[in-house]
Amino acid sequence: MLGGGGAQAPRPVLTVADLRGTSRRRRKGRLIRGAFLSAAAVSVLISALIVVALVGEAVVFLSKTDLRSLWSDGWFPRRDMFDIRTIFAGTVIVSLIAMLVAAPLGLGAAIYLSEYASQRVRRRLKPALETLAGIPSVVMGFFALTVISPDLIRRLFSGAGIFNMAAAGIGVGILVTPLVASIAEDAMHAVPNSLREASYGLAARRRSTSVRVVVPAAVSGIVAALIVGVSRAIGETMVVAIAAGATGGSLFTLNPLGPGQTMTGAMAALGTGSDRVTGGTAAFNSLFFVGLLLFAMTLGLNVVSERFVRKVRRRY
Amino acid sequence: MRKTGRLAAVAAFAALATLGAACSNNNDGSGGSGGSPGVTGTVTISGSSTVQPISSLVAEKFNAANPDVTVSVDGPGTGDGFVLFCQGKTDVNDASRPIADTEAAACEKAGVHYVELKIGLDGITVMTNPANDTVTCLTKADLYALFGPESQGFSTWADANALDETLGGAGSFPDAPLDITAPGEESGTYDAFIELAGITDTATSRGLSETQAASLRPDYQSSPNDNVIIQGIEGSNSSLGFVGFAYADQAGSGVKDVQVDGGSGCVAPSHETIADGSYPLSRSLYIYVNTDKAASNAALKALVDFYMTQDGFGSAGEADYVDLPAEQVSSTQQAWSGAVG
Amino acid sequence: MALADTRTTTDAVRRALTGRRRDLGGRLFESGLLLTLLIALATLIVLLAKIFGQGWSVFAERGTSFLTSPMSQAAGRAGIWQGIVGSLMLMAFVVVIAFPLGVGAAVYLEEYARDTRFTRFVNANIRNLAGVPSIVYGLLGLTIFVELLGFGRSVIAGGVTLAILVLPIVIITTAEALRAVPNSIREAGFGVGATKWEVVRSHVLPYAAPGIFTGTVLSISRALGETAPLLLVGAIQGTFFTGSQSLLERLQGLYTSLPTVIYTWSRQPNPDFQKLTAAAIMVLLVVLLMVNATAILLRNRYERKW
Repeated sequence: MLGGGGAQAPRPVLTVADLRGTSRRRRKGRLIRGAFLSAAAVSVLISALIVVALVGEAVVFLSKTDLRSLWSDGWFPRRDMFDIRTIFAGTVIVSLIAMLVAAPLGLGAAIYLSEYASQRVRRRLKPALETLAGIPSVVMGFFALTVISPDLIRRLFSGAGIFNMAAAGIGVGILVTPLVASIAEDAMHAVPNSLREASYGLAARRRSTSVRVVVPAAVSGIVAALIVGVSRAIGETMVVAIAAGATGGSLFTLNPLGPGQTMTGAMAALGTGSDRVTGGTAAFNSLFFVGLLLFAMTLGLNVVSERFVRKVRRRY
Repeated sequence: MRKTGRLAAVAAFAALATLGAACSNNNDGSGGSGGSPGVTGTVTISGSSTVQPISSLVAEKFNAANPDVTVSVDGPGTGDGFVLFCQGKTDVNDASRPIADTEAAACEKAGVHYVELKIGLDGITVMTNPANDTVTCLTKADLYALFGPESQGFSTWADANALDETLGGAGSFPDAPLDITAPGEESGTYDAFIELAGITDTATSRGLSETQAASLRPDYQSSPNDNVIIQGIEGSNSSLGFVGFAYADQAGSGVKDVQVDGGSGCVAPSHETIADGSYPLSRSLYIYVNTDKAASNAALKALVDFYMTQDGFGSAGEADYVDLPAEQVSSTQQAWSGAVG
Repeated sequence: MALADTRTTTDAVRRALTGRRRDLGGRLFESGLLLTLLIALATLIVLLAKIFGQGWSVFAERGTSFLTSPMSQAAGRAGIWQGIVGSLMLMAFVVVIAFPLGVGAAVYLEEYARDTRFTRFVNANIRNLAGVPSIVYGLLGLTIFVELLGFGRSVIAGGVTLAILVLPIVIITTAEALRAVPNSIREAGFGVGATKWEVVRSHVLPYAAPGIFTGTVLSISRALGETAPLLLVGAIQGTFFTGSQSLLERLQGLYTSLPTVIYTWSRQPNPDFQKLTAAAIMVLLVVLLMVNATAILLRNRYERKW
């Protein structure tokens, strides 16, 4: 108690306890924090569920099948032929063709938008490129089957079938291009202007500056863009399901001008087909086995891309 | 704060509008004019992808008169349809071949009682690309040489010539890539083809085991989807395949029907030759109805009753198959009324 | 603003140093780059032209009956009504589930969580989930929602699966929007004695709201176009007819979505269905365009520039 007695009221002292607020308020704050924490925990739960769901059924598959059938003439799950090489080769071919399309188009567009385009042009063209990213894959699959395959592939290569992996690959490539372009362009845009000015200060032309200064400086972002592109290409399902043709199964083939089966296409066929019904064979469980492989591949690519970005990041 | 309020209001309005759309009893059929008002229930039809268009049409007509019934029609394949049917999971199984002994046994074991109703006729059309001039007619020996279990590895038409000659065929196939697109094991059309083209008989007479004789060569592009097969045929100049007659008929000029010689000359598939049985690869189409469920499910009974009317039987022809001839119609109707009473 | 100034300086420096001599190689290079950009855009234009060219006749012949008819075997009668209703119902699920969960998770990660190993793990996990192929989410939906929890091939199973699919996107975009709010705003709130939640609710969220809203709308447009997971989880690919049902029955019953209808029709050999597929794609693209345009418009209108 301060001061003397009498008429004066004691001076109020502000303590930490006052600033902390009432316990009701604090409790409410803790509750809310808990609610948000559980929301964040849901994401972890989802990952765990995915792994559990996939691994569980994949193990059932492996226990039910003769492991030799994983190396047969083709992927015909109905006939107990689960040749992994077939669907893996299909995925590689489609993704390779997709990246052959997406890498030059995406990187070229990125360099142009970042280094050459004026603000006005950039403002017009960038949203247009992003619209391309918004096209659903069913639509691109239909386009691949009805336009790319007959008008492009079969005109160039007369021996190609109407279902071919090349058309699917090009379709996937078109879908992936905006992704590659956007990430690469962000990376290039982030390169400080001082580097460009230094290059011009040495009388370099714009082309040399772009290619020999900006691109190497942004290389980690560019590589990340390509890896993300590959990951997206591997996971693309509907374009392949519509345009690459092999719904029941496929022999091992490396010919992009004919039909083929990718991992995602095989999964789509198994999931929508009738194999779920006939419980005797392991055909339906193979769906999860392939899904697990796919999940592992995209996860691996994602981890690599993040590691790469962190390792190679230059400091300015 | 006001801005979040406005955004929240927009979101809430959108959600309500969506719920309104979902709630509204929208026009899933063209109104309930006529028909039995008040019939409600759910009917699940599955099975053959060949018969699916017919059942789908019947369901559509039925729904127009009875808008309160929920019907779903699916086509995963005759064999798989039977598995579901004998587990009691579907009410009607479409089938492009009669029920097999093993399947009948499974149904009996599970306590599922059914009635077999013939609802139409179909042919299996063997097709190739219109650009393939040299192939116009194939005998059963030819079909065995091209499709049979011993033909694994034949990548050109000419590869099959040796086997063809052994079986008594002409052995004059061209040297062009043999691109086969055809149904796979889950399809009733696959089983029907094997039986009608005599694959099993020829194979067993040549000493193959029973399981081997009951299948085609495994190395071709198979698809459970008849539509994909048509597109595969259109896609290669020397293609070969087979589908149900209706799909081939609808496919138009992109495919060429191959005539089949069953021993009495080359016959082309058409509505007439299938109806009178002169086309060698003709077969009957069936629906199998779960009689126990028909007794308790008014909607199911009403649907099958509708199937048995003139309009119902006529759907086969509308779906581009062949209508059942009159005598067979009345025997089917009798089978149904006998089963349900 | 500052960046534009530097670019002008850079250009000026460059021009002064390199002079006006003709640079053929450089010109070619620049044209080459522009060409790649134009090729990418040209495919978009070709795609739109082909789709609209094929699909327009359906609308010219049948008008809005195409939008209001159910699916049918007969190409002349088939319509996309069930696809539209199905997609709307699915989107309702996505909004109701993914929006609160996503915003909540992002708020935790950005506002509450300390930089521990756990937080970094959760962040990395979310980034991984964003990169998982959509068909794997279909597998998850199939095992957990259709089979384990017994929802069957219902709208509920489909809706929850799609919600989980877009959840990482909502979290990431919301986190970005929250990060963009300057710390001074938060400190102002703390300075007058607000608790963390009060600061978030009254200061941070309103300012981040446009960005959050844009992110949610973009994830909706992503979910609208998804087909693969729904195929696995049970969207009907054949035909079906539903009688009158209560809302609850409808949610537990058969459904399809507009992209699923497009997929089914694209595989029909009957050439009439090709036109129908194109017409259905037209509708889908128009809807997506409207959704995206709304998002961008709203973002531009409500965006604050710090």
